[in-house]
Amino acid sequence: MDQDILFRNNVKVKGHGSQSIIFAPGFGCDQTVWKSVAEAFEKDYQIILFDYVGSGRSDIHAYDSKRYSSLAGYAQDVLDVCSALDLKNTVFVGHSVGSMIGMLASLSHPEYFSHLVMIGPSPCYLNDPPHYYGGFEKEDLLGLIDMMDKNYIGWANVFASTVTNNPERPEVKHQLEERFCSTDPIIARQFAEAAFFADNRSDLIKVTVPSLILQCSNDIIAPLAVGEYIHQHLPNSMLKYMDATGHCPHMSHPEETIRLIRQYLSMASIDVSLAGRGAHF
Amino acid sequence: MDEQLNHAPCGFLTLSEDGVILSINQTLLKILDYTQDSLTGQHVNSILTVPARMFFQFYFFSLLKLEHQVEEMYISLASNKGEEIPVLINALSRTVKETTLFECILIPMRKRNEYENELLLAKKETEEALKAKHKVNAELETTLKKLQIQKEELLELNKQNHNYKIETKKELELARIIQETSLTDPINNEKVQMEVFYNASGELSGDIYGIYQIDQHRFGIILLDVMGHGISSALITMTLQSLFQRLISAGFAVEIVMKELDSHLHKLFRNNEEARHYSTGIFLLIDTERQIIDYVNAGHPPALWQDSDGKQYELFSTAPPLGTFEGVEFKTKTFTFSKGGRLLLYTDGVDPLASNHLAPLLKKTIALPLFKLKEEILQSLNNEKNVYHKNDDESFILIDLK
Repeated sequence: MDQDILFRNNVKVKGHGSQSIIFAPGFGCDQTVWKSVAEAFEKDYQIILFDYVGSGRSDIHAYDSKRYSSLAGYAQDVLDVCSALDLKNTVFVGHSVGSMIGMLASLSHPEYFSHLVMIGPSPCYLNDPPHYYGGFEKEDLLGLIDMMDKNYIGWANVFASTVTNNPERPEVKHQLEERFCSTDPIIARQFAEAAFFADNRSDLIKVTVPSLILQCSNDIIAPLAVGEYIHQHLPNSMLKYMDATGHCPHMSHPEETIRLIRQYLSMASIDVSLAGRGAHF
Repeated sequence: MDEQLNHAPCGFLTLSEDGVILSINQTLLKILDYTQDSLTGQHVNSILTVPARMFFQFYFFSLLKLEHQVEEMYISLASNKGEEIPVLINALSRTVKETTLFECILIPMRKRNEYENELLLAKKETEEALKAKHKVNAELETTLKKLQIQKEELLELNKQNHNYKIETKKELELARIIQETSLTDPINNEKVQMEVFYNASGELSGDIYGIYQIDQHRFGIILLDVMGHGISSALITMTLQSLFQRLISAGFAVEIVMKELDSHLHKLFRNNEEARHYSTGIFLLIDTERQIIDYVNAGHPPALWQDSDGKQYELFSTAPPLGTFEGVEFKTKTFTFSKGGRLLLYTDGVDPLASNHLAPLLKKTIALPLFKLKEEILQSLNNEKNVYHKNDDESFILIDLK
């Protein structure tokens, strides 16, 4: 087992079960966002949590601005973790850009993954008229990056200092610092640029690992049309519309998220065992 | 809504967990340029710019969900007319009767926003400058490393050079000993008395001499000065020495010895004009019984003969230097001498300016023994050395004929 990688990506392994699930956070988040969802699977699965280099409590010294200037670098982090833990046929659950990172990882090492679960994925955030609607114009995305700068995302503990002054909730500060303060501002900005200006539409067709797309209602970041686009172009994919609104159902609506993932995995395991017996549908 | 809150000097907004506007105060409606409340029931996205909508998804809702409050978050609102309004937002998540509400106050910050933009711009510029500085530093670092490597190479070369120098010095010292070993000793007996001086400008000399007793009465004395000085000239003196030693000892006539030496040089450089060296030389064959001296002077400074009365004769050049023109005839000159005379043979290093100061010196010291004369000549050489920086080989031979 490669201890260096486990340290570098702040890898945490929990839970019981022969089947493993690896949870990949989306943009701007670290593994703590999976708290509710991951806990629900601990009883029956081996749970793997990690942070991308540059986020959360990863080893910032391992950051290489060239490697992480595109999603391929982040996909390599996923592959490194899988390789370090010697994972095979693991379930990959990714949020937002995390699902695209997992998809890219599956292209180079499909044997690492049995299924991909994509929560609010988008292969391309930019509109590409007339045939593709990603939801955003370039200036919108640049505006978001500016807003991150203005809110000191990644480089000052403005959000955290708020909580310092709240004597009733002393535990929150620590969590917040973990979430927001351990990322260098330049790294946060580079990740934003890599994530929001990526276009992985042409990769969808190459995916061989079966997948579940969880599409939220009223998700302005990954709108309905985008989820449907992915479903159309991603072979062997299933699309589930969620009641959950917004872009982060794993945080806002963990119960529904857990239920849908469970449902898919149990279906998939029946599918696999039937397929093993040569059954056809 | 409470009247005071409705007209408070800040915007007030309550949202459902899903982001639907539940209530909005007059102040905020005014800020957003809505005359009446047509916003209740709408999603908050309808009053946010597109980037703010994304930012709300990524950070606002996540923070309220996880931490139950947001403070001093910067976002931009979109007014009814599409105008962008920068605001600071504080929000609190409150659960009343199992329903969670997000209560927010919003304060426009146009001026502060401009100020912050300036700050951000300045920060970016500083970062650029820092980056440029780091780049220059890195380049300097590289240059420094290169210089360090070059310096080490130079030191290594210098060391090699030093070793080479020491090695060469040793070799030259050995060569000097070999060259000086080839020099014959002066002869001192009842017929002749001699003093010699031989000094190389460097380790090796382009001068060579030989003194031989051929039989009971005859003595051969030869002094050669190969053009140039140093190693190449010294090598040639050695080939000439081995030849004249055999010829003179065997008693060959003066012109034959000189002719052979001349031919030897021609042969030596037949196929290599560039390396051609010639040599001046004087060879005297003294017969003490018949009291005659045969000699040939090939381009050499004149030897001085001083008889017992102090009368001086110069033995001028009778032929061109050895190794210059092929087929030159070397004609022997002969003169008779009376006993008690004194001979001085020297190379041009001893009299570089041909100043003829040796003749008066010889005359002045007529009554003095030979070794005294040698001292006088050396003294004059030292005096001259202080005036001119000479760099030529020096040799002379003094002979008293008794």
